[in-house]
Amino acid sequence: MKLFTAFVLDNEEIMRATNVLTLRAGQVARSASPGQFLHIRCDDGCAPFLRRPMSVYRTERDTIQLMIRDVGAGSARLVRARSGDPLDCLGPLGRGFHLDSHARNVLMVGGGYGVAPLVGLAERAVHQGMSVTLAVGAASAELIFPPSLLPEEVEYLVATDDGSAGHRGYVTDLVGERLAWADAVYACGPLPMMAALARVVRDAAPRKRVQVAMEERMGCAMGVCLGCVIETTRGPLRVCTEGPVFDIRQIVWRDEPAALGTGG
Amino acid sequence: MYVDLQVEIGVNAKVPLTLRNPVMVASGTFGYGTEYARLIDIQRLGAIVCKGITVRPRRGNRGPRIVETPGGMLNAIGLQNVGIRRLVDEKAPLWVQWDVPVIVNIAGDTVDEFASMAGQLDGVPGVAGIELNISCPNVWEGGRVIGEDAATTAAITEAVRARTGLPVLVKLSPEVADICGVARAAEEAGADAVSLINTLVGMKIDTRTGRPVLANVTGGLSGPAIRPVAVWLVYAVSQVVGIPVVGMGGIASIEDVLEFILAGATAVQVGTATFAEPRTALDIIDQLPDAVCARGRASVHELRGLAHSGRDR
Repeated sequence: MKLFTAFVLDNEEIMRATNVLTLRAGQVARSASPGQFLHIRCDDGCAPFLRRPMSVYRTERDTIQLMIRDVGAGSARLVRARSGDPLDCLGPLGRGFHLDSHARNVLMVGGGYGVAPLVGLAERAVHQGMSVTLAVGAASAELIFPPSLLPEEVEYLVATDDGSAGHRGYVTDLVGERLAWADAVYACGPLPMMAALARVVRDAAPRKRVQVAMEERMGCAMGVCLGCVIETTRGPLRVCTEGPVFDIRQIVWRDEPAALGTGG
Repeated sequence: MYVDLQVEIGVNAKVPLTLRNPVMVASGTFGYGTEYARLIDIQRLGAIVCKGITVRPRRGNRGPRIVETPGGMLNAIGLQNVGIRRLVDEKAPLWVQWDVPVIVNIAGDTVDEFASMAGQLDGVPGVAGIELNISCPNVWEGGRVIGEDAATTAAITEAVRARTGLPVLVKLSPEVADICGVARAAEEAGADAVSLINTLVGMKIDTRTGRPVLANVTGGLSGPAIRPVAVWLVYAVSQVVGIPVVGMGGIASIEDVLEFILAGATAVQVGTATFAEPRTALDIIDQLPDAVCARGRASVHELRGLAHSGRDR
């Protein structure tokens, strides 16, 4: 973990409002693993002021790739980064996914842009000879991760809220029958999706080992500000330091307020 | 050219505190000092003020606890901390080995709690001073803060003074009717310095859900957004007290530090800016000698309070 300047080598839009940034990161790239993140300064001034945590999507030799969805002031700046731009980075941070080397069958569950760390993890799993199924959910077809960017060995299951691609419904509808098959499960996505996954696992396979990468608003990402603390069965823990990857059984899920106008 | 950066706090305390330079890091933004040690040379800081500590450990508030706002952030951590017992047993022994002095920020619910914690810290090797958090906005009923009047501030300060020979800094809230009165009360009750400002209470509403973003509803606003408020209050308070004023509130650059010193601050604390750029305080320390020199002065003291009208230019 260190402060470093990474230069943008490439910036490519891979689906709607979602870009892959390729950064030259030197030694940092070799030590970064899926589930870890970089804390990136998006502006020299106050627009925005704080860094933004960005999950590692893929690593290759001395490059790190980030998959960034334009969801706010910080990410909007990053998706507009140009080749040659310097990025002020802190990382790699946090505890990433632990790929269980004894696992033969691996199930990965991604929601929205939460698929990002799972792609790099799937590549590593395939490389180690594991059978991998990746199930993803999104609002609609144009927000589904392009299958062309996934190793051919990975089985790919898709769900969309509006039915414009794959199963009409939630990604958690797809995992039930795969749970018994899987030796290890890895997940990343919005809180409601992961809370739903936790319920499916609790009901269908309570002893299954499931690792989830949690997302929370972050300040320092160094374990200092205690802003990203979540409730767990081990007490309050920091997503930036003890996480972002946790055992799904340890998370105390909180109710997220529903959007106005949805009857919530 | 040699520029004198050294600062004294608590010249009348039994154990005065000499800072190599006037740039500290603020409570709540630097943990217990150990976390950033992996990233930057913390020993070069003027001092470290550790995370606010309470008599008993606290789990803090439910999340979300922070949210960014224009030019800063709101936080409602709820004083999550390990409790004073573990601080003395586990953290202070690390600090003994450091060159950089560590000031412990304490937050009590009552006068007795403040006094008891001060007593526990007195004489503990590794503890260089005490900052009284009489103004945390996140843990008091209805957003009230304990230090909102001069009488309570005096009572706390006096009780703490009676229990410790360590330098005592009293951290002031900007959300009081008469901050100058509170500062004077702290000085008369034996404070060695006042530090200001603590955060301002604010809130952010998520227009998608219609609900406050923070689970605590309100949070303390920090960052560059509050800097003009802080500069003004340092300017005002430093004219009515004789003890050093430690200025803080949105400091992110050497320019900001100069503003606080010109307003009357003897020392400063860098807070939220450390999250954005962990090297902020060290960069400022590196730039301070040239900045003092460029203004024709040989020490930071000579710049202090020059913004006050009628002072020798």
